[in-house]
Amino acid sequence: MSLELMDVVWVSLWLFTLLNVVAVAALSLVWLERKLLGRMQGRVGPTRVGPFGLLQPIADGIKLLMKEDIAPGSSSRVLFFVAPLLVFVPSYMVWITIPFGRDLFVRNLDLGLFFFVALSVLGIVGLVLAGWSSNSKYAILGGFRSAAQLVSYEIPIIMTILVVAMLAGSLSFHDVVLAQDVVPYAAVQPLAFGVFLLAGLAEVGRTPFDIYHAESEVVGGPFVEYSGAHWAIFFLAEYINTFMVGALGALLFLGGWRWPVGDVPAAAGVALFLFKTYAIVAVIFWVRATYPRMRIDQLMSFGWKVLIPLSFAAFVVTAFQMFYGWPIWMLTLLSLVILVPPIYIQLRWQRTPAMALAKHYAEIAVAVHAQPRPVPVAAVTEAHAAPGTEDDA
Amino acid sequence: MTTERQHDTIDMMLNMGPQHPATHGVFRMVLTLDGERVLDVTPHIGYLHRGSEKLCEGESYGQVVTLFDRIDYIANLNNELAFCRAAERLMSIEVPERAMYIRVILAELNRVASHALFIGTYAIDLGAMTPVMYGFRERERIQNLFEAVTGARMMHNFIRIGGVKEDVPDDFGPRVRQLIGQVREGIEEMDRLLTFNEVYLARTRGVGVIDAATAISVGLTGPSLRGSGVAYDVRKDDPYEIYPYLSYKVPIGENGDCWDRYYVRLQECYESLSMISQCLDQMEAGPTMVQMRRIARPPKGEVYVHSENPRGDIGVYLVSDGTDKPYRLKIRPPSFCNLVGLAPMTRGSYIADAVAILGSLDIVLGEVDR
Amino acid sequence: MTEQTPNPPGQGDDEPPAAAAPVHRGPPIVIAEEVLNERGERTARLLAEVVGPHAQESGGRDDLPWAEVAPENLLEVARKCRNSSELALDMLHLQFAVDYEDHIQMVYVLFSMSLDRKAILRVNLPAEDPKVDSVVGLWEAASWYERETHDLFGVEFGGNPDLSPLLLFDGFEGHPGLKSYPFNDYQEW
Repeated sequence: MSLELMDVVWVSLWLFTLLNVVAVAALSLVWLERKLLGRMQGRVGPTRVGPFGLLQPIADGIKLLMKEDIAPGSSSRVLFFVAPLLVFVPSYMVWITIPFGRDLFVRNLDLGLFFFVALSVLGIVGLVLAGWSSNSKYAILGGFRSAAQLVSYEIPIIMTILVVAMLAGSLSFHDVVLAQDVVPYAAVQPLAFGVFLLAGLAEVGRTPFDIYHAESEVVGGPFVEYSGAHWAIFFLAEYINTFMVGALGALLFLGGWRWPVGDVPAAAGVALFLFKTYAIVAVIFWVRATYPRMRIDQLMSFGWKVLIPLSFAAFVVTAFQMFYGWPIWMLTLLSLVILVPPIYIQLRWQRTPAMALAKHYAEIAVAVHAQPRPVPVAAVTEAHAAPGTEDDA
Repeated sequence: MTTERQHDTIDMMLNMGPQHPATHGVFRMVLTLDGERVLDVTPHIGYLHRGSEKLCEGESYGQVVTLFDRIDYIANLNNELAFCRAAERLMSIEVPERAMYIRVILAELNRVASHALFIGTYAIDLGAMTPVMYGFRERERIQNLFEAVTGARMMHNFIRIGGVKEDVPDDFGPRVRQLIGQVREGIEEMDRLLTFNEVYLARTRGVGVIDAATAISVGLTGPSLRGSGVAYDVRKDDPYEIYPYLSYKVPIGENGDCWDRYYVRLQECYESLSMISQCLDQMEAGPTMVQMRRIARPPKGEVYVHSENPRGDIGVYLVSDGTDKPYRLKIRPPSFCNLVGLAPMTRGSYIADAVAILGSLDIVLGEVDR
Repeated sequence: MTEQTPNPPGQGDDEPPAAAAPVHRGPPIVIAEEVLNERGERTARLLAEVVGPHAQESGGRDDLPWAEVAPENLLEVARKCRNSSELALDMLHLQFAVDYEDHIQMVYVLFSMSLDRKAILRVNLPAEDPKVDSVVGLWEAASWYERETHDLFGVEFGGNPDLSPLLLFDGFEGHPGLKSYPFNDYQEW
């Protein structure tokens, strides 16, 4: 392949546009989160900087960039500075293959899904390096937790992506969207969709899976020693990842820019794709506002004992359907059948005994009964002259 | 819980220092860790020690009331009540009935405000960031009422020896009834979000278990003790003011874990709200302060009086030598005594559990250190 | 008759008496003596039985009887109070010291969670060398009470494994709880 100058310029232009688009998208997510969370908590969120507080993320960015660059003295300098880059660059690089609309991508790789998986694993290395190179106990604890959590939750993501690849017959994002002509894969394989969303939450590090940078315990985890611009990079990477999970959910499971409207002008397709992405992201924020965070051992056991078996079950069921040529609705049925028992068990496991216990406590509460009041004394209005009431201070 | 070591590893000491988002004030916990398991916890207190007890020896009795506001700065009126009861007991003063009703209404409102703050901060310690906003909203409503009645949102100096400072405003009754309705809805909102939430249950059930015998030996009181199954409530067992004329329930738990302590406090909120409306029904016009000297001079003697703080049993031991200043004023702070129970509860659990257990004890450092 | 009103200094005697306004004052107070009520009498009798010959003095107010014992006998008396089936004083509610200048008095407030009993034990210690046995083996709550008393008053508790400072910072000299510690003085860190 010869590399002509026009090619290089064209690709650079596309990359530059992509960087801006992704950065603006991540910043819009910052704004959306603060507004949504604010409304859910009974307050309004940012309102002062710009109309509706729209310029708030820019103000945050400027503030972070202006902060003093502090690195702990005992940290390893080179690794300390490289770690944020190792987190940010892979999460940005995946966007090269993501199509925003029909023919709206930088490069349509035939191995797009595989590319995504490979790069998301690279991000884990960056986090662990951040924790280790900070040379602080809280950071090391956070680094360990993040390594364990992220590596474990990669497996369900890989499995569900494989399911989608099998259904579409291709590893390229474009083909996956084109294959969802009639029915989106969320309807075909709700099990895979559910597992993907949960595992995606854990991969991004959002509540209820944000133990590794839990503010109320390890005060930032691997990020605790980073300040200013470095922390801004981590922050941005987290939001880009969140947007990525939303975009992937929209493309792989909800039909991207195509379903249900088919072939429409590019702008409308992009709007539909963004709408679906933001819908998934809004659900992610909603979950953050509602749930406390899981403890690390509960998180790990949930991943290994619940999500991984479910993702394998989805894979096996899809394989059977393709091999034996069952109709599509059979797949939906089977995946619902597999999905329902874990939900049922989960509810029975914690909630039902707690409700029974609450009822029991209502019964054993000690009741105190009011005694009859004595007849109230009439208001005393006569003179209060009594010995020893002079003020002799 | 026994912790067995499989490998020959070194214990790590993790300092949850005086500055930490989850320690509810200037409190330092040194955890000895084996990986993620806590082997031992050493609490260090004294960062907020202001010498309150010694200060009291130089202040007249009226001035001591202001000091008691600042010991437990979340349940101010309950503390003022505790001290005023001690001084009144020593002087054998019988407070007029209307004053008692006002005191109890304000104390119970303060209890609800304190528990609302507890639920909110406990939730955010565990990662749920919404209930704290609701809790503080309810607390603001109650503090609005306090400002209308006492003149201050927090350090009220309203409950005085011999009664209350002045009568309540004319719209007190309807205003409090409206407040009860609003606060009840707010607490129910937090209840719906948290109590049967799967993740919350997983984080708090079975965590920080303390059995009744250890709890009694350690000196735990209040909702922490009731969560372990001991049905001791000062309002029930040593009734004071007009509590004998109210019907209510004292919620108790059985397992002694964090969820039980949280649930006991939640139910106490509802019970307090119903107590307040009973008080409003029973309250009648009358005097609100006893005729007495401006500067109280109790006779020589000693008295020990204890009341129910939102955190437990606050006791005031007053030794008087006949002058206008106390000779010795010893405060029994419930949070101080509850903190002794932190070590038995935390041994063998995870780091994340240490935060959950400390939160469930509901300590206020002003009380712990005085 | 002089009316006792805590009015601000601005309002003088030219204020007309508010006869129609709601009455703000109640009946005058009566100063009663230190006496036990019925509940207290019952507990005082049980306490006298349990403490037996060791009681040097006794008394009480309302439902709280107190008994004074010698420092040597404290541990034994405390153990009997806790283990006796009639008293069952299983919670150490409060333990602190009072500085009476020529002697220091340790006060133990004991509650029973199972029965309706409360009692106070008092011990008088010499001011120069206040030493008493620790009751931390009986009630775990004593660990912090004794640490605080040692910190603020300088009382030694024999048998307490950990008497490190609790409330005061490292390097603080003196015992601020004592009456001899000056009021307006402070130590800088």
